[in-house]
Amino acid sequence: MSARPRSPQERGGFALLSLYAVLIYLFLYLPIAVIVLFAFDAKPIPGLPLDTLTTGWFVEALRDQKLTGSLLTSLRLAVVSAILSTLLAMPAAMVLAWLPIRFKSLVMAMVLGPVVLPQLVLGLGLVILLRSAPDLVGEPAIILAHTTITSSYATLILYSRFLGFRRSYIEAAMNLGASELVVFREVILPLVRPALISVFMLAFTDAFGEFVVAWFVAGFTETLPITIWTSLRQVISPKVYALSSVIILVTLAISLVSQLWVIRQTRLTSKVQTS
Amino acid sequence: MQAGAGSAEKRRRRFAAAGIAPLMLWQFVFFVVPVILLLVISFWRTRNYRMVPDFTFANYIAVFTNGAMWRALLLSVQTAAFVTIACAVLAYPIAYFIAKKAGRLKGLLLIAVIAPFWISIVMRVAAWRLLLGENGVINQSLLSIGLIDQPLGFLLYSPVATSIGLVYAYLPLYVLPLYASIDAIEDNWIAAAKDLNAGPMRAFWEVTFPLSLPGLIVGAVFCFIFGLGEFVTPALLGGGKQLMMSQVIQDQFQRRLDWPAGAAISIVMLVIVFALLAVSMKWFRKASGEKL
Amino acid sequence: MTNTKPPAVEIDAITKSYGETTAIRGVSMDVRDGEFVTILGPSGCGKSTLLRMISGFAEPTTGDVRIGGKSVVGLAPYKRDTAMVFQDYALFPHRTIAENIAFGLRMRKVERAEIARRVDEMLALINLSGYGGRRVSEISGGQAQRVALGRALVVRPSVLLLDEPLGALDMKLRKQMQAELKKIHRELGLTFVAVTHDQEEALTLSDRIAVMNAGSVEQFADPETLYRRPATRFVADFVGGANLIDAEVGPAGALLFRGLPLSGIGSDAVKDRAIGDKVSLVVRPECVATSALGGQAPGPAIEAMVTEVLFSGAVQQIVGRLADGSLFVAHEQGLKPPPERGSTVLFHWDGSLSWLVAR
Repeated sequence: MSARPRSPQERGGFALLSLYAVLIYLFLYLPIAVIVLFAFDAKPIPGLPLDTLTTGWFVEALRDQKLTGSLLTSLRLAVVSAILSTLLAMPAAMVLAWLPIRFKSLVMAMVLGPVVLPQLVLGLGLVILLRSAPDLVGEPAIILAHTTITSSYATLILYSRFLGFRRSYIEAAMNLGASELVVFREVILPLVRPALISVFMLAFTDAFGEFVVAWFVAGFTETLPITIWTSLRQVISPKVYALSSVIILVTLAISLVSQLWVIRQTRLTSKVQTS
Repeated sequence: MQAGAGSAEKRRRRFAAAGIAPLMLWQFVFFVVPVILLLVISFWRTRNYRMVPDFTFANYIAVFTNGAMWRALLLSVQTAAFVTIACAVLAYPIAYFIAKKAGRLKGLLLIAVIAPFWISIVMRVAAWRLLLGENGVINQSLLSIGLIDQPLGFLLYSPVATSIGLVYAYLPLYVLPLYASIDAIEDNWIAAAKDLNAGPMRAFWEVTFPLSLPGLIVGAVFCFIFGLGEFVTPALLGGGKQLMMSQVIQDQFQRRLDWPAGAAISIVMLVIVFALLAVSMKWFRKASGEKL
Repeated sequence: MTNTKPPAVEIDAITKSYGETTAIRGVSMDVRDGEFVTILGPSGCGKSTLLRMISGFAEPTTGDVRIGGKSVVGLAPYKRDTAMVFQDYALFPHRTIAENIAFGLRMRKVERAEIARRVDEMLALINLSGYGGRRVSEISGGQAQRVALGRALVVRPSVLLLDEPLGALDMKLRKQMQAELKKIHRELGLTFVAVTHDQEEALTLSDRIAVMNAGSVEQFADPETLYRRPATRFVADFVGGANLIDAEVGPAGALLFRGLPLSGIGSDAVKDRAIGDKVSLVVRPECVATSALGGQAPGPAIEAMVTEVLFSGAVQQIVGRLADGSLFVAHEQGLKPPPERGSTVLFHWDGSLSWLVAR
């Protein structure tokens, strides 16, 4: 429940704040709208004013084997990274949130590190590391690099989710005769499934869109962000906007839906009962 | 007597170790080791485009004496500071609005702020090029309504463009911790302040603002360190006349093939980042409400 | 060798320390088979830790816990034959009421038909027949409490543990549930161990109560004994509330309050004490009456200045301040005209209703 404004002064403040909010959302979504708009612009060099609209660029984008090839590469690598980071993050986050461990601050530093480390620096460090394993350059290296970043994000997100999880669910199940494994299967997994899926999706989106680190360790592999980067250095074809706008809309939809779903689900399992 | 006291404790320890080990191992190999390697080669030398093991501070001295590198460091710090302040000013009202005034739309509005953050950075930058270019949407619109009669050239390929791109990139990131802090402030506390005859402004400065400080600081730290190390945005929007630190590093590595020099700048950047984090650790704890 | 059944739960010289701090210091107690025992104490006294040690969620630093004569120290919670009713009920939100109740039986690999039968039986016992298919979010707080109880009872544990079982309920519901809990205990004949900070609840429900303070058991006795003859100052004050007069044993069987003998105290009251012992005289407010100064009190009496008169219908509380500054309260019936605030009156009581505890 929000406090509804009462006095005229407060009502004025509310109106001003609402107007401001509209402007901020415009700022956040204007670039997205522009990309989508120019995906339909018939001119080969996009610009205002728009005269004819076409869906031709979408078809062009699908015909461009370089674009679709790198799109598929990105999808494939991001799925692997997302699976790996969810698998790494889930047990770690459970331990961090529920079990007493020694050197907790050191562990947290290791988790937080890849998030705060400038990605450029991580990329360079990995380049040096890969000198001793040159065979990994390319797809395996991209997966390794992305998993390093996304597993950190995933752990932090899951950790905060698990902190809010009512411990007594676990204790109640154990108390009724469920061993650790059974507790995990019967109680924890069903209750944290939404959080896991949302973390998987976020890890996927992050790995899918990451550019800098991938660029350094990619060798001759081209992910979609790398392809777009290359095209941005030349005159950019509207088919790139066409493909981008589809991906952006899908990304937005994924993050919107998965987050909303999680909010609804966590109400059930959180410590504070919201009635 | 004590029949195996602490065996449950041991069991718990084993579970904890098994759960955390894979991630730790992974982060050690692909995060700690690379950073250490970077640190090691930052003391090496380069001869004929090849690294030679050594122990020299020459690369570090160069960071602070070489004019170009020094200017890049300065520009990075300036830009990051500007972006941080801009994000704070822009993010505070929106975080406040979502936390306190949005009513039932709260969840949706928050997610809508965060969502653009997950779009690939190259695509976001591509969008800003469409907006800011000489023939871009902003210039064309201003021209057509007659506000200007020549396209504004400074909009793209300038530190201004970089700053706009960075504010856009990090605004969602700033809203998140701010929202969390403000949302945790109970309406009753604010009501109590008003009940004790504090006006709305006074109540804000006495109650809301101090309690939202952890979020404000945590957001600022994240914004600053991310801004400091950002590469894509300055590389694609900044033009290339004035380089930021990350661009110099990339240049050293990829064009000049002087890895030790690039590594030294990277380490300087890392030191700034971690010093900032260490100084603000207390606020991270406050903001998370739990030991991080 | 004896044939008598071992106690349901034995707590044997338990201590628990976390690093430097000691949460429980040398607690021992036995719970007989079929008994309803409550551990009563203020928050932070270590009572919940004790319960968690019985259920297996905490381990003693030293000492032993035995259930049915067998040590369970080091045994995982799921291998112990205890069942617990959690303070927040901890009903699984992704399961229906019936599934919640069936959980423990499924874990014990009970046959499917048998599970269905026992769940129905339990739903009837807790007055929730027909609610089996509902979700946890669709029932009220009182119903959730009963489901939590049913989920624990259905496995027929050798000990049922209750952690502040009625703490989340409002007053009226709590009274109702107290009666229901008592009835279920009597009908099933199981051993119940509960933890609460509510002394009235403890007195109503329990066969015996262990009063804990700062990690130790101060007294372990039946409710009547606790109320009529508390062993320590803390118990006297915590259970039922008491007036405490800090005094010293004087020569010739006198009890000295600020150096002067208290009037009306018989010498047999101090017969087991040595001269110079520091003691407190305990008397319940409901045993105390007031009368005007100079009157002839039939038993022990003490002067106090009336600071407050709190009228609440049938009973009025007369609060007085003794010469040493401590408060002294009398509960008198509401029809009697109260003494004036600020006046000094005599608080007196029947000498057989007061006793001494060490200080």
